This record gives sequence, C-alpha cells and structure tokens, in this order.
Amino acid sequence: MSNVYIDQFPAEAKVIRAAFYSSFLALALGGVFGIIQTLHRTDFLRFMDSVDYYTVLTAHGVFLVISFTIFFLVGIFTWAVTTSLDRGLEDIRFTWGWYSLMAIGITMTGVAILAGFTDAIDMSASVLFTFYAPLQAHPLFYLGLVLFVVGTWVAGVDWFRSWWAWKAENPDERIPLPTFMVLTTMLMWYIATLGVAAAILLFLLPWSLGLIETVNPLLTRTLFWFFGHPVVYFWLMPAYMMWYVMLPKFSGGKLFSDPLARVVFVLFLILSVPTGIHHQYLDPGIAEGFKFIAMTNTMFLLLPSLLTAFTVVASMEHGARQRGGEGYFGWLKALPWRDPVFTGMALAGLMFAAAGFSGMINAGMNINYLVHNTFWVVGHFHLTVGTAVALTFMAVTYWFLPQVTGKALWSRSVALGQVVVWFVGMTFMSNAMHRAGLLGVPRRTAEPQYEGFEFQAAVGSIGELDAQIALGGVLLTISLGMFFANVVGTALNGRSDDLPANEYAGALSGPDDAPLVLDNLKLWTAIAVVLVIFAYTFPLLSIIDRGGLFGPEVIPFPLTVESATTLGFALETAASTSFESAGEIATSALTAVMR
Amino acid sequence: MNVHTYEKIWLVAAMVLIVAFIATITYGSVGLGIAMVGDQQPTIEPTELGDDERFGEPRVEQVGENEYEAYVVAQTFSYQPDPIEVPEDSQVTFYVTARDVIHSFSIAGTNVNTMAIPGEIAEMTVEFDEAGEYGIVCNEYCGPDHHNMEGKLHVVSADEFDLTDLSADGPDEVAVGDSVDVDVVVENRQLEDLETTVTLEIGDETVSEEVTVPGGDAVETTLSVDSSALGEGDHDWTVTVDDHDSSGSVTVLEELDDDADGGEDDE
Repeated sequence: MSNVYIDQFPAEAKVIRAAFYSSFLALALGGVFGIIQTLHRTDFLRFMDSVDYYTVLTAHGVFLVISFTIFFLVGIFTWAVTTSLDRGLEDIRFTWGWYSLMAIGITMTGVAILAGFTDAIDMSASVLFTFYAPLQAHPLFYLGLVLFVVGTWVAGVDWFRSWWAWKAENPDERIPLPTFMVLTTMLMWYIATLGVAAAILLFLLPWSLGLIETVNPLLTRTLFWFFGHPVVYFWLMPAYMMWYVMLPKFSGGKLFSDPLARVVFVLFLILSVPTGIHHQYLDPGIAEGFKFIAMTNTMFLLLPSLLTAFTVVASMEHGARQRGGEGYFGWLKALPWRDPVFTGMALAGLMFAAAGFSGMINAGMNINYLVHNTFWVVGHFHLTVGTAVALTFMAVTYWFLPQVTGKALWSRSVALGQVVVWFVGMTFMSNAMHRAGLLGVPRRTAEPQYEGFEFQAAVGSIGELDAQIALGGVLLTISLGMFFANVVGTALNGRSDDLPANEYAGALSGPDDAPLVLDNLKLWTAIAVVLVIFAYTFPLLSIIDRGGLFGPEVIPFPLTVESATTLGFALETAASTSFESAGEIATSALTAVMR
Repeated sequence: MNVHTYEKIWLVAAMVLIVAFIATITYGSVGLGIAMVGDQQPTIEPTELGDDERFGEPRVEQVGENEYEAYVVAQTFSYQPDPIEVPEDSQVTFYVTARDVIHSFSIAGTNVNTMAIPGEIAEMTVEFDEAGEYGIVCNEYCGPDHHNMEGKLHVVSADEFDLTDLSADGPDEVAVGDSVDVDVVVENRQLEDLETTVTLEIGDETVSEEVTVPGGDAVETTLSVDSSALGEGDHDWTVTVDDHDSSGSVTVLEELDDDADGGEDDE
C-alpha cells in the first residue's frame, strides 16, 4: 500500500473530491461573472442591461466567497483531521450528510440568484453578498444559506467526533497541529455564524415570507457584520494552515515553531468576532465608543497575522538553507521556485502583506471615512480573499488533487504559469482599484461615470485605471482557464504509482514546547464568548432600544407591489434630475475637512 | 515555551506598532477633534419624513454667523435638495437620512462619507474653505438604478450665496383698466436682514419696491401695474429679487367674464 491519501483513506478521499469539485464549479461560475462585470464596469464591453449587473455581482460574490472558499476548506479540513489523527472519520454516512446539506443549500441560493436574470420566474435575489434589508431576496435565497451554514456546523461536529474518539485512545498526547487548527477555526465559526443565523432566522426569512411586517435595517446589518468579518478568517485560517503545515515542507524544511502557530490560532479564535462593527464606522445609530472598541480589537488582530508573517518567512528560510541557500538574502534563490505549489503559496503570502497595509488603513476608524465603500475596499479584499486565500487554495490543489484522485498532475508548467499569471493579473487589478478608491470611485456600481461631475486623478487618469482593471480581469480569467485545464486534465489521467507520500511539515520547535494551556479549547472558547458579549451586548441593546426589535415601517425592496410604484416614481425623479444637472467638472482640491 | 530571540523582538515590535496605530487614531479623535458619525441623533420614521420639521422640506439653513445646517434625504435614486448650495468659509452640519433603503451620502474625493440608513439620522460637521463644486455619490447598492444616483454640492463665494426664496402669484385675466396685482413672498432663511429690491417687469412696464426681509422671516408685498398701459392681449411678467426670478402671464381682456378669475401662476 502506498502512502498516498486516497490509499490511506479511500472513503474520505471521495468526500474531499466531491467538496473540491463543488468548490471548483463555484470558482468557474464566479470567474465568468467576474470577467463580465469587470468589462461592464470599465465600459469595455457592455452586452447586458446595467440592472443585470447587480445580479451578476451577487452571483460573483456569493459563489466565490461562500461556495468556492467554504467547499474547498471543508475538503482540506477533512484531510487535516484524518491525516494528523491518522484515523478515518467516525461515520462516512454522517460526512456525506453534511456535504449534501451544503450542496442542497447553495444550490437553492444559487437558483434564487440566477433566476434574477429572467422575468419568466418571479424570483430574484439581487441583494449582493451583504443582503442589507430593506433590500429583500426571495425566501429560497435565505433558506439556502441557512442549510449551507448548518451543513458546515455538522461538518464541525464530524471533526470534533474524530478528535474525541482519538483523545479517548491517546489521552496524554498533544492535539496534532493540523487538527488543533481545524478545531479552533470551527469554534470561531460557531460563534461567528450565530450572528447571521439570528439575522436570517429571526428577521429576514420570516420577513421575506410575509410573517413579519418590518425589520430594523440597522439591527440586521449589525448582525450580518457580527458574522461578516469573522467569515473572512474562516477563509483565511485554512490558508494560514497551509502556510504553517505545508509551505515549510515544500520549501524543503520544517515549521519554525509549533507553539507560536497554536498561539496564532488561539488569537484568531478569541479576537475574530468582536470586531465586526469596524465595517460600520459610518453607520448612524452606533455610538463612537462602540466603534472604538471594535477598532481596538481589530488592531490587536494584526498580531496573529504579523506573527504568521515571521513564522512563514522563517520557515521558508530554514527550508532554503537546508537546500544549500546562503547569505542574508541569497537563500531566496535556493527556494523551489519551479514548484507551482510553493511559488503559488509564496506569491499569495506576498500579496497578503500588501493587503495587510491597506487593511490597516481600513481599520483606522477616522481614516476609514476616506475609503469606506470606495473601490479601495474592493482592491483590498481581492488581495485577501482573492489572492491570499484563492491563490493558496489553487496552488495547494496541485498537491491535493493527486492525493485525493491518485492521478498525477496533468501539467506542472501550466500550473506554474497559472499562479504567476494570477499574481500579475491581480497586481494590475487591485493596484488600480486601490487608486480609484482614493479618488472616491464607489464600489458596487454598474457604471461609475456620472452626469454632473468627473473623478479627478492626481496621477494618471480614470481611463488608465479602467484599462488596468480590465487587463487584470482578463489575465485572471486566463489564469482560471489554465487552472481548470489542469483540474480536468488530471481527472482524465490514469492512476499513477509515482505520487509523493501524504504528509505535512514537522516542526523545529515541536508541540512539546507549547504550554499545555494552549490546548485547553474550553478556556479559549469561554474567553472568546466573553469578549463577544463585551463587544456586542451594548451595541445591540442600544440599536434595539433606539429603533425597536422590528424597526420602523420600511418597504421591502424590490419584491412587493408597493415598491414597484416607489421605483417608478424614483426613476422619474432620477431622470429629471439628471437632465437638469449640467456637465460641469468639479475642479477644487480637497478643501472639505471633516471636524 | 521556547520562543526564539528574533521572534521575541518581532513580537515586541508588532505590539508597539499596534499600540502606535491605536494611539494615532485616539489622538485624531481627542486631540484634533475628528468626530465620527455616531448615535447623536434620535431615530425617525422613514415613511413619515414628509411631516418632519427638518426633513419635510430638505434644505440648507443658517444657524450661526458662518454656521449652517443641511437636511438631506437620500432616496432611490436621488438626493434632496439637489444641488446643495453652501457658502465658502462656512461650517456646515449635515443631517442625512434615507427614505427607503440604505444609501450613502459621499462627497467624491473627500472624507465626507456616511451611510444613510432608514430610521436613523447621520450627523457630521464639515468645514468648507474654498468655493468649488463637488459630486455626491451613493456608494451603497440601493437597487437597479443605483449607478445613476448622484447629487451636487456647490460651495459658492460669499457674495453669490443667499438663502432667499421667492414666490409670486398673479391673476390669469384682468379687464382693461383694472390693475394687475402680483403678490410676492420673499423668504430669507439667513440670519441677517436682507435689504433688496423686488422688481416686476411686464411688457414695457417696470415697477419696483425696496424691501427689508428680517432674518429667518418672510415679507409679502403686492406690485401693481395698470392694465391700460399694457393693452389687450397676453403679457408675460417676471418678478426678480437679486438672482432669483419667478414669472407668469396675464391676459388683458376688453371685458372680464364674472366667473373667470383667479388661477395660479407660480415658478
């Protein structure tokens, strides 16, 4: 028997394959919608009505950040638990159960979104990834999300069951690092998803079904961000896990420090959730003090990322020196740059450093006013989830796919080209997005051109920025094409006997150096819950006290008959005002200083 | 726990960086007085904005020597008022709310940026030092025509700026020999008294009157022209006060039908 994953755990490999392929399907759909909207927004190719842009945008967002990322991570989490505990899952039917829940859920949500393209079905969900009320989606959209999230909850239970069973047999052993990372991430996820579960189950779903008349827009929005920020760590922590347990191996060495890796994941567990209000710095109805608390927590959340930067680079250097690298920076040349898995992850890490800087700007609660909801933010998260996470996932696919299929990778050269093209494409696109955001160009709009004024670029021009964004989008699409060529090519390959063994990196400073308290998951969960209570109880009570649990009278938008007349009136107003406004140009410098 | 020396140095440096970030932001808030949009304002019923003292009639008002308040309503897919006009060298407090869904009120290229949430009122104070024109964009997706939601902010020089409203109303028809009486209301929303001239032009006739409108008040007056001087036929009239005008038309008939009188002419 070989040491390839599919031979060790054939049943689990099948589940992981299913999760990966679901993830890749979402990636393909999301990518197609991505290039459509890039060309539409930059006005290079507009073949659809601008109204449909928002349906495309919703699909792009939901398919990529919900289905692509989460299906992929449940795959690698399953791999991590089974490999590091060296035992199969307790009951594979249970495993297929949660996979099915997720698949059914996301299909329902996807159908609700895509139905927005046709008038034949009276269903739409063009509410974007954030689904802020009073924008209202079809009930199927919310119901699908609920099933999907419940699926991930059950998946967590599956992995905990494995750990409990393993612990019963190995009472004195430390939790293996990959399993430790899975468990802390899932604990964070359980706390985080309470927000979105409350928003949907208590308010949005009953409201979309007509069971309750109104919702409080600020309350559902705040509950969304209770989940909406930590969800980014749900994407990021699996990528971090890859950087900790796989990248050192591909660099040719070992992880620098196992204890510090545990510290990082514990910090994420306790600090990820009580930060969501930093997405609401500009929201009226939330006191400045609450925003300050969220900012402080956010800033401390930089710590685990800064620690990760150190450990990852140190591990890479260790690997390079094992391979004969020398000198202060000369060791960089000794890294395996021809290996797509290594290069993809290293480039993803580099982009994440840049993302860290724009993230620090976003986090500063008064600096944020300059960039909030501008294209800057879109540039930021295309570096984080769009590169740090997505490129890492695509790169490790080149190692995982042979492990779970037993087939050799179709082409290493195409794979290497793919990760490089992604890096170059994203450099063009996100750089131009950041710059456009500083000029005030808004995010989430089909046509960022206005009748009454133009955006003033200090350096370059809007046309140049649009060209860079479109070029970046085209390169990213080409990169995706290369990725899928490899996925399909690999699937069509025959079984190979010559695959690397299934293993992850050892550590220079192993788990025995880590204080036992780090493995006390109950303690860290309790601290996390206390911090969440501290950060959220008063803001939520204050919002409910001010606006009421079900809020003021609001009109659901755009599903009801009343709202159709509102819309007609609004379109009329918009048309008349746009005729009135002359094509003048705002020439003044930034003289408006907010006090 | 065994932590490498370099890693300890890095850890300390990271903590110093984080504390420094928090300190600079705190200095910005406390030292420089950069205020955030917060919960200063009470909530409001979005469906009853029409009856609200501030948002029933979205507008700019003067509240101090160089201090103004602007009440702004964001709705699908426009802003009221539009354009918003404020003087240079002024301090303007914006109060922004939304009538329907969540919008934003964002002055392009500046840090004047807030969400407009139905039921909540955002408050922020901005200083405008120089005259200029700005675009206002909605940067929160608000529905199918979101990309067309824009407004304008004009910061005008002190001599060009006023908060005067003019309305004028005259008869549709008069009989030759009767006088054409145009009722004029001049409203002055600035704090200082407004000394100005109201002028009525009709045909070749011009009459004017000096008026003094007290700050925050309005005056009503009537300007009259003898219709015999105009002659029979249709005549357009215009009332002007500074840069504002209001016009209408009147028909002078040989004899007036008893029941054909009144009607309204307004700007």
